[in-house]
Amino acid sequence: MLLQLKNIFKWVNSGGQRVFLLKDINLDIEEGEFISVMGPSGSGKSTLLNVIGMLDNFDEGEYQFLDESVHALKEKKRANLYKEYIGFVFQSYHLLDDLTVKENLEMPLLYKKVKGSERKAMVADMLDRFNIVGKKDLFPSQLSGGQQQLVGVARALISNPKLILADEPTGNLNSQQSEEIMDLFKQLNEEGVTIIQVTHSEQNAAYGSRIINLLDGRMI
Amino acid sequence: MLRNYIKIAWRNLIKNKAYTIINIGGLALGMAVTLIIGLWMQDELSYDNYFTNKDKIAQIYQSQTFNGQTGTGPAIPRPLEMALREGYDDNFKHIVMTSWNNDQYLKYKETSISRPGYYTQQETPQMLGLNILKGEKDGLREINSIMLSKSTADALFGSEDPIGKIVKVNSQYDMMVSGVYEDLPFNNSFKDAKFFMPWEKYITIQEWIINAADNWGNNSFQMFVQIADNTSMDKVTATIKDVKKDLNEDLVEFNPQLFLFPMKDWYLRGSFENGKQQGGRIKYVWLFGIIGAFVLLLACINFMNLSTARSEKRAKEVGIRKSIGSQRGQLINQFLSESFLVVLFAYLIGVLIVLLSLDGFNELSRKEIEFPWGSPVFWIVSVFFILFTALLAGSYPALYLSSFRPVEVLKGTFKAGKYSGTPRKILVVLQFTVSVAFIIGTVIVMQQINYAKNRPVGYDKEGLIQVPTMSQDFSGKYELMRAEFLASNAIVEMSSSSSPTTSIWSNRSGWDWDGKPEGFQEDFAWTAVSPEYAKSLNLKIIQGRDFSREFASDSNAVLINATAVKYMGIPNPVGMFFKDSDEEDPSSPLKIIGVVEDMIAQSPYEPVKQGMYAFDKYDNASYYNMRLNPKQSASQSIAVIERVFKEHFPNIPFQYDFVDEEYGAKFRSEVRVGRLSAIFTGLAILISCLGLFGLTSFVAEQRTKEIGVRKVLGASVFNVWNMLSKDFLKLVILSCFIAVPIAYYVMNGWLQEYPYRVIVEWWIFGLAMVGAMLVTVLTVSFQAIRAAKANPVDSLRTE
Repeated sequence: MLLQLKNIFKWVNSGGQRVFLLKDINLDIEEGEFISVMGPSGSGKSTLLNVIGMLDNFDEGEYQFLDESVHALKEKKRANLYKEYIGFVFQSYHLLDDLTVKENLEMPLLYKKVKGSERKAMVADMLDRFNIVGKKDLFPSQLSGGQQQLVGVARALISNPKLILADEPTGNLNSQQSEEIMDLFKQLNEEGVTIIQVTHSEQNAAYGSRIINLLDGRMI
Repeated sequence: MLRNYIKIAWRNLIKNKAYTIINIGGLALGMAVTLIIGLWMQDELSYDNYFTNKDKIAQIYQSQTFNGQTGTGPAIPRPLEMALREGYDDNFKHIVMTSWNNDQYLKYKETSISRPGYYTQQETPQMLGLNILKGEKDGLREINSIMLSKSTADALFGSEDPIGKIVKVNSQYDMMVSGVYEDLPFNNSFKDAKFFMPWEKYITIQEWIINAADNWGNNSFQMFVQIADNTSMDKVTATIKDVKKDLNEDLVEFNPQLFLFPMKDWYLRGSFENGKQQGGRIKYVWLFGIIGAFVLLLACINFMNLSTARSEKRAKEVGIRKSIGSQRGQLINQFLSESFLVVLFAYLIGVLIVLLSLDGFNELSRKEIEFPWGSPVFWIVSVFFILFTALLAGSYPALYLSSFRPVEVLKGTFKAGKYSGTPRKILVVLQFTVSVAFIIGTVIVMQQINYAKNRPVGYDKEGLIQVPTMSQDFSGKYELMRAEFLASNAIVEMSSSSSPTTSIWSNRSGWDWDGKPEGFQEDFAWTAVSPEYAKSLNLKIIQGRDFSREFASDSNAVLINATAVKYMGIPNPVGMFFKDSDEEDPSSPLKIIGVVEDMIAQSPYEPVKQGMYAFDKYDNASYYNMRLNPKQSASQSIAVIERVFKEHFPNIPFQYDFVDEEYGAKFRSEVRVGRLSAIFTGLAILISCLGLFGLTSFVAEQRTKEIGVRKVLGASVFNVWNMLSKDFLKLVILSCFIAVPIAYYVMNGWLQEYPYRVIVEWWIFGLAMVGAMLVTVLTVSFQAIRAAKANPVDSLRTE
């Protein structure tokens, strides 16, 4: 088992009323799964993803990640866990504008304190694998959307995560670019990486092995 | 990792040029001010460091009490030397009697110069550790020897070897050059020691010095000591404090207390009030230290404010970094590296500013500070200074920026909260509080200087020169010289006096008069003058009459000043006599023939001291006071005076001073403080405005869309300007209200030191406030009007 959510609740207080963002979520995810989270806007898809990605807290419930109780961990421990095993891909890519492609790829390794020579090798490897060696010295603004997302995925992958969380990864892309990215995910999944993606598109969801539907913070 | 931080920081600096210029420029100015003040403080604090024995050297000081007022000074009587040598020798390594520092005429062949120097005892070169360049180390052994500083030797001998040559001193006695020493540096208590001659010579020159050998009451000499290695200043002081009192029953009533005044306190802690050591220049060291710290703080605040104001721009970056695994500590390091880089650049530019302005600063502060290129301490301190500034400026932005939560900022919904601007506002208020307080302080210092400058001096100091006549050559020549100078038409009147017009060199006690209260310990300022003194100075006679050559009896007459009348408590003293209370050897009584107006000879901030102007019977004056002929130019007259002077005293260099300039010198230290604080105030305001300018431009940018919407709805340029300026103006007004009481309190305390002081008026505060507001409006308006004039269509289309 990769991770397990038990009775997860998350809420905000608004005007004296408790508004639930997540309501009693129970979810087991095995290693190697490819899951698509679907649901209308505001149903809590991104929130769920952020909770799984440990970017966001929850108010009630238990979260086990590889035998660690995430809800009981200290901030720093949690960050280490997350750094080690999770990679994020965003809808609007979120590359660092001031860094070149190569430097963007290098960043997570720097945060993991990977040694210089090893770092270079890993970056070169990743550039090679994604076929973007020629673009390594360009800045994000000099790339097309599809290329930027390619870099985004490469950056998420570079630290060899067990789990990739993708928040509408193709939301800003045209259909051809979309297809390329989804094929890439499929391929990664076949290599053993667990993937959870949030998507609006039935077509993209079809790449996955399981679909989770959310409505008003509940799983249905 | 660090390289990576620096790289990103660098790209950020390049990308936001305006922001970078404001930030680095402001910090560079602030750091330059702090550096220059630091160098100045270092110079002040290292005064007298030239002496390796600094911690062991002291001057003997004496406190005596007259009428409950304790006066403290360095003047001691001659017999004290033997008393200490015989009874207390093991406390001291060296004891040296020394004369005052006086100008003497030195002549070799045709070269004649005037230089200040000392008569002192044999051990002085050793005690001071003079660096002997030529000749003997022990150069004061022979009674007819003289040691010259390098510059003096060069002036007299040029390229000739001075050792063994004969110098004629005051055209009276021949002294043989025994040694040449390196000139003492500028920041040194003995910087005016251009020569040393033996004390043994000094005590044979003049009658009064010879007579002072056994006179415990004649406090006219100085004594320097180096204490023994195994003791301390306090111990020695405790041992010798009553030496004078114990040996002189008749002086017990004045309670003479001797003490060691350590060399390390001479320059910075040299003020005494009622017998107690009471600060001194050290207060200015503190004052400027505080100013330096504040200016640096102002510059750092700019950095903090501009960094946090830009937070929304950087929030996304923080979010991404956190989402790819950055810990908060790493982000803090990154932001600190950025501030470090900015501060490093600012420091380099600051050093450049210091280099460019050091000459001007030296002139202004009368210093000879050099940039300490070769001092390792300076560079080490600089490294700490850079790190400290980077931390001071960078830690708040680093903590603030690194605290953003990735979920919020990446969702794109991030808006700095309602209160996120509050710390920024507080910092702006702090900046302007400091600036306004500086303005008020500077205005009050300037006012006090002007107030004292405009104080009536009691005589006419314009068109008056004084010529020193301290050599024996002048003795007995006064009448002749007066006739000659008058005949030359260069002057309209002249007189001689035993002190310069702008000082009092001696005080006398020991007088009786009818109606003097029992036990009254009197003390008068004493000046011996020729009969034309009041006339030449245009000093008004307010009671009785002036000296007159018609009355032979006037050689025993005296004029007193208005304060003396009050001091004696006798409404009409004219016609009364001052009797010498020395029973064994009374000199003839002096008749009071008139009262003159008070004239300020000493501090322009203090009340005038009760004074006597006595007829100079012995024609032994120190100065000629000459009223220049108003019908011709001063330079013309002075050329004529010099010619006449040279005819009679060919061996003596002609020197003169304008009395009004000498009087102006009394304000030098205050004027200096005033000018420096004006400059620093200006810089503080400039730095604050720079920050405000940057801040306004960000606010305008942030609110571009809002401004666009408002304009579409019909807001005028004035409305928008008003909206943007109002916020800042409010802050500045708040600052004014905080600054005013603080400045009032501090400046009132400063003014208390001056008995003659200006009254702080409320319009000063109003002026400072209006000034600050005006500067704010101007600064803010530039950006506000630009934002207000922008075409709303452009700003709305960007969405």
